[in-house]
Amino acid sequence: MDFGFKISPSSAVNLDNVDLTLYNRLLEAEPDICKCIACGSCTASCPANRFSGMSVRKAILNLQRGKEKETARMLSNCMLCGKCTMVCPRGINTRHLILSICKLYKEEAK
Amino acid sequence: MKENILIIGGGIAGLEAAGQLLKLGYNPIIVEKSDHLGGHVADWNRLFPDMSPAEDLVSRLIAASSEANIFLNTEISFVNRLKDSWNIMLSNGISIITRILLFATGFTLFDASKKEEYGYGVYNQVMTNSDLEHWFNTGQDERIPEEGPAAMGFVHCVGSRDEKARNPQCSKVCCITAVKQAIEMKQKFPEAMIYCFYMDLRMFGKKYEDFYISAQKDYGIRFIRGRVSEVSENIEGKLVVKAEDTLSGKPVKVTLDLLVLMSGIVCNQQTCKTAGLLSLPIDSDGFLKSRDNIADITEAPREGIFYAGTCTGPKTVPETLAEARSAALEIHNYILNGM
Amino acid sequence: MRERFLTGYNDFVLPFMIGMIFILSYCAISLVRIIMQLPKEDRKKFFISLVTPKTIAKNIRDIFCDCLFHVKLWKRNKLLGYMHSSIAFGWFMLIVIGHIEVLFYVPHRAKLFYFPIFFRYFVAETESTMKGAFFFFLMDFFLLMVLSGIALAMIKRLQSRLFGMRRTTNPSFLDLIGLYSLWAIFPLRLIAEGFTADISGGSFLTKSLNHVLNSFLSDHTNMLPAWWAYSCALGVFFIVLPFTRYMHIPAEMLLIPLRNAGIKIRHARKGLAKAQVYACPSCGLCIDACPMGVMKTHIKDTTVYLNRQIRRNNEARIEEISDKCLLCGKCTAVCPVGVEGDKLRIAQRSIRRYAINQDYSNISAQMLPISPGNISPAAVSAPESAATVKNGGKVLYYAGCMTALTPVIRKSMESILTKAGVDYELMDKDGGLCCGRPMMMAGRFDQARQMVEKNTEIIMNSGADTLLLTCPICYRIFKEKYDLKGIEIIHHTQYIDRLIRSGMLRVDKDTTRYVFHDPCELGRGCGVYEEPREVLSCAGELVEATKNRKESICCGGSLGSLSLGFDKRKSMTENALANLMAGAPDIIVTACPLCRSTFNRYADRPVEDIAEIIDRKCVTSAAGPASLNPGGSN
Repeated sequence: MDFGFKISPSSAVNLDNVDLTLYNRLLEAEPDICKCIACGSCTASCPANRFSGMSVRKAILNLQRGKEKETARMLSNCMLCGKCTMVCPRGINTRHLILSICKLYKEEAK
Repeated sequence: MKENILIIGGGIAGLEAAGQLLKLGYNPIIVEKSDHLGGHVADWNRLFPDMSPAEDLVSRLIAASSEANIFLNTEISFVNRLKDSWNIMLSNGISIITRILLFATGFTLFDASKKEEYGYGVYNQVMTNSDLEHWFNTGQDERIPEEGPAAMGFVHCVGSRDEKARNPQCSKVCCITAVKQAIEMKQKFPEAMIYCFYMDLRMFGKKYEDFYISAQKDYGIRFIRGRVSEVSENIEGKLVVKAEDTLSGKPVKVTLDLLVLMSGIVCNQQTCKTAGLLSLPIDSDGFLKSRDNIADITEAPREGIFYAGTCTGPKTVPETLAEARSAALEIHNYILNGM
Repeated sequence: MRERFLTGYNDFVLPFMIGMIFILSYCAISLVRIIMQLPKEDRKKFFISLVTPKTIAKNIRDIFCDCLFHVKLWKRNKLLGYMHSSIAFGWFMLIVIGHIEVLFYVPHRAKLFYFPIFFRYFVAETESTMKGAFFFFLMDFFLLMVLSGIALAMIKRLQSRLFGMRRTTNPSFLDLIGLYSLWAIFPLRLIAEGFTADISGGSFLTKSLNHVLNSFLSDHTNMLPAWWAYSCALGVFFIVLPFTRYMHIPAEMLLIPLRNAGIKIRHARKGLAKAQVYACPSCGLCIDACPMGVMKTHIKDTTVYLNRQIRRNNEARIEEISDKCLLCGKCTAVCPVGVEGDKLRIAQRSIRRYAINQDYSNISAQMLPISPGNISPAAVSAPESAATVKNGGKVLYYAGCMTALTPVIRKSMESILTKAGVDYELMDKDGGLCCGRPMMMAGRFDQARQMVEKNTEIIMNSGADTLLLTCPICYRIFKEKYDLKGIEIIHHTQYIDRLIRSGMLRVDKDTTRYVFHDPCELGRGCGVYEEPREVLSCAGELVEATKNRKESICCGGSLGSLSLGFDKRKSMTENALANLMAGAPDIIVTACPLCRSTFNRYADRPVEDIAEIIDRKCVTSAAGPASLNPGGSN
C-alpha cells in the first residue's frame, strides 16, 4: 500500500537489537570501563582527536550501543601516548582498554 | 559543677554546638588551631542560596558562644585515658579533664596545585574558589584585572570525584558554589563571558535549581558538560583551556583571562592524627567513621566522643549547623542518662 | 704414577659417558639452531666478530669474568659472588688440572673422555714426587673451594636473607633434581677419591679422609660403589641439565659472543632472545630489583619467571608477565648474565596480532600547527642575545604529550631559554604527534615507525640545529630511533648543564637539600646520570637516595606497563619515595613529567622538575661570553 510518504530509517538506537557479546567480552577483560563518568577528559587531551575524532569516551559508548565500526575508525589514529590514562579521574587504564578493543576484534574476525 | 565538654575546632560546627551546650547549662571548651573562629566560612564572602553575608552568620555564632572557654592557636598534644574520662594536654600547656569530646574539625580545601595540568601556581590567571572569595572580601588579587576578565571559566570537581587526586567522593558544595560565584562575577562584570565546565551538576539543595536557572536565564552563564583536561598559555599570556563538550561530542577550546578552580573538600590530615590519639576509626573515604552513617552520624564508635560537621564528610552550611545542634542534643542526653 | 688397569675402563664410567654425550649433542644442536635462527645480516655480523681479534679478546675476557669469576656478582654482593665463582672456577680448575695430570702421567689415555674425570681410580702412586704432591694439593684445594661454595649454596637455600637477598626463586621440580645432583657431585667425588687416596695418592683433604675411612672401612672393594655414585651424580646432572636452570652454563657462553657482536633481539622467541632465555641462571636478583616486587602478588611477574614461562611455552602467562612490566629496565641493569628483561618483554608484545592496526597515513605534516609552512617567529629572545647562537641555528623545543599535562615544566623551560637568550621554537605548542616511544613500548613497531617518520619530516624542515626535550620518554626514542642528520638531540638536564657551564646562565646556590630521582628512561635508558647532578650542585646541596643511578627505583607511573592499573601502582610509588628520603632532602627533583606527577601525588614534600628549580634560582645574565654556543659542538 502506498500512503504517499515513506518513513525514513530511524537514527534511534534500538537497545533491544544491540548485540552485546563483544562488549561483554571486553567488560570481562576490562571491568573498569563501567567506571567511566563520561567527563570527556580523554577526548580533550587526545592528540589523535583532531585526525580521527578519537575519544575513549565515545569509543566505549559506541560499543555499548553496538556501533563497533565507529569505534574502529576512531581508534585508527590512536598513538597510545597515554595522556587519556593520565587525565582519567576514575583511574581507568585506557591504554590497555584501547589495546583490548583492538585485540578483541581480532578474535571476532577469526 | 558544670560538666566540661571539649570541642575540637572553632568553625561553624564547633561554635554552634558550643552555643547550644551553653544554653543547656554545660561548660564547652573550644580548641581552635588557627588564630580566628569561624573556620572556612569566615573566609567566605556570601552564602547561597540567599546571598547572606558569611560574616553575619559567623559573628552571630561567635556571639552565641562567647561564654565558652576558647583557646585559639592551640592544638591537642596528647591524650591520656583516665578511668571514665580523658586528660587532654593542649599545646599551650593547659590540660583539661573531660568525659566528652566533640570533633568539629572540619575539612581541608584540596590543594589545587596537585592537579598539575590546571597550572595553579604556574599561570598568573589561575585561582581557586577560596582565592576568589578572598578577593570578594578584600578586593585584592593581582590575578583579577581591574576592568574585569573578558572571558573566564569555572572548573568544577577539582580534586573531587578524582581517584588520581586520591579523593573519589563528591564534595557536594562546589557545584552550587561555582554557580554562585559565576553569578557574583557576572554582577560585578556584566560584560564578561563566563563558562562553567562541569561533569555533572548536582543541584540538590533548597533553591539550588532556581540558582541554576537564574544563572542560565538572567546571567547568560554558559554551562559546558566536560571536564577541563589541559590548560596552556598562548603568546599573549592568555589561558587556552581544552575540554570536550560531551553533549555535542566535540572538543572545545576557549581562550580565557581567568580560570577559577573549584577546589573540593578533602579530609583534614590533622583530624586523622587527633583521631589516631583516641584510636578512632577512619572511614574508607578518609573522613571520620561514625557509629552509623544513617542513624548515628554524630556519634563515634567510642563512648563519649561525638562528631559534628564536615569531619565526617562533605556538607553544606545548613547541614553542618543542623548536625552541630543534633550533636549538642546527643551530648545532653548522654550526660542525663548518666552513661 | 702407573696405571692400575690395562683396559683403562670400568663400567662405572657409563652413566657419566651417557650424560656427557647427551649434553654435548644437545648443546651442539641448540647452538646450530640458534645461529640459524638469527637473521642473515646478524649471522654474518656474528661470524665476522668471531674472527675479529678485538672481539675475540673481549669474548675471552667476558667469558672468564662473567662465567667463571662472576665479577658482576662480586661487585653487588661478595658472598654471592664467592659462592658462584667458587663453584664455577673451582670446577673449571678441577677439569683443567685433571687433564694436565692425564697428559702428564698417562698421555696415551688423553683421548678417553672419562679418563681425566676418574683419573684417581685408574692410577696408582708409585713414588711420592714433588710434582705429584703439587697436583694433588691443587686438586684438593680446588675441590675444597667447590665444596665451600656448595655449602654456601645449601645455606642460601635455607636462609636467603643471609646473602642479602630478600626473595629468591622457587625452583621447579627438574631444577631441584639438577640442584641436588649438582650438590651431590662434589661430596661424592671427595668420598670416592678418599677411598682411593692410599692407592692413587692424595693431599690434605683426600688423604686425611682416607685415614678416617680406613679406620672402619678398610676393604678396598668399598671404593667401587663410591665411584659409581660419583659417576651417576654427574650423569644425572648432565641429563637433566637442558631442562633446568643449569642450561645457563652453556647458554651464557653463547650469549657473550652474540652480545659482543652487537646483535639485538629481533624475534620474540628465536635467536638472541632464545639465548637470553636459556642463559638465565634463575638467580633471582631481578626479583628484589623489580619495583613491582613491593607487592607480593607480582613476584611471579619478574624476568626470571618470564624466562621460565618462555621455556615452557606458557603463552597465557607470557602475555600476562610481559604486559604487566613497567619496562624500567632495572632487571636488565642488575642481571649478572645480561638478560634484557625489558627488551625481551617488548619483543613478546610485538608478536601479538591486532585486528585494528593504527595507521597514520591520513595525517600530513601540514595538518600540524608547527609545520614547515607556518613556523612563526620565536615568541621571545632579546635581539642582542641572538648573537649567542652560531650558524643562525635555532633550538626546537618538543615538549611532548606528558609535558602538556605538567605545564609548569614547559613554562620553566621556556623561561630559562628566554633568560639565557636562546632563540627557540616550540614544536608542539598546540598539540603535535606523539614521539612514538609509548607505541614502541607496546611492541607495535610499524606504528611507531610511522610516527617517527612524520616527526622526522617536521623536524628536518624546521631549520633547527638542536632538538630540546624535557621528557626522557621522548628523548630515548629520539636518540635511538630517529635519524636527524645534523640536528643534535639533547635532554633539558644536559642543555641546562651546558648553559651553566658556558656562563649563559648563572645560578644562585643556597643550602636547600635536593635529591635527584633518576628517571628510568633517562638513566638506565640513555645513561644520563652526571648532568642533572652537576646542575643541582650549582643550585644547592645534592644528597643521594639509597638506590640511585643505575639502581634507581621506578616511580611506578611508567607508561611501559600496559596492564597495571592505577590502584596497583600506589605501593610502588610509596616505596620509590621512601628510597629517596635517605638524605633528608627538602625537595625531590626529577627530570621527567611522568615521574613528577606520579611522585607529587603521594609525596610529603615538594616534587619539582629540574627546570623549575633552575628557573627559580637563576639570575638573568646576558653578560655571558657571547661567542659560546650552547647548542653547538658535541
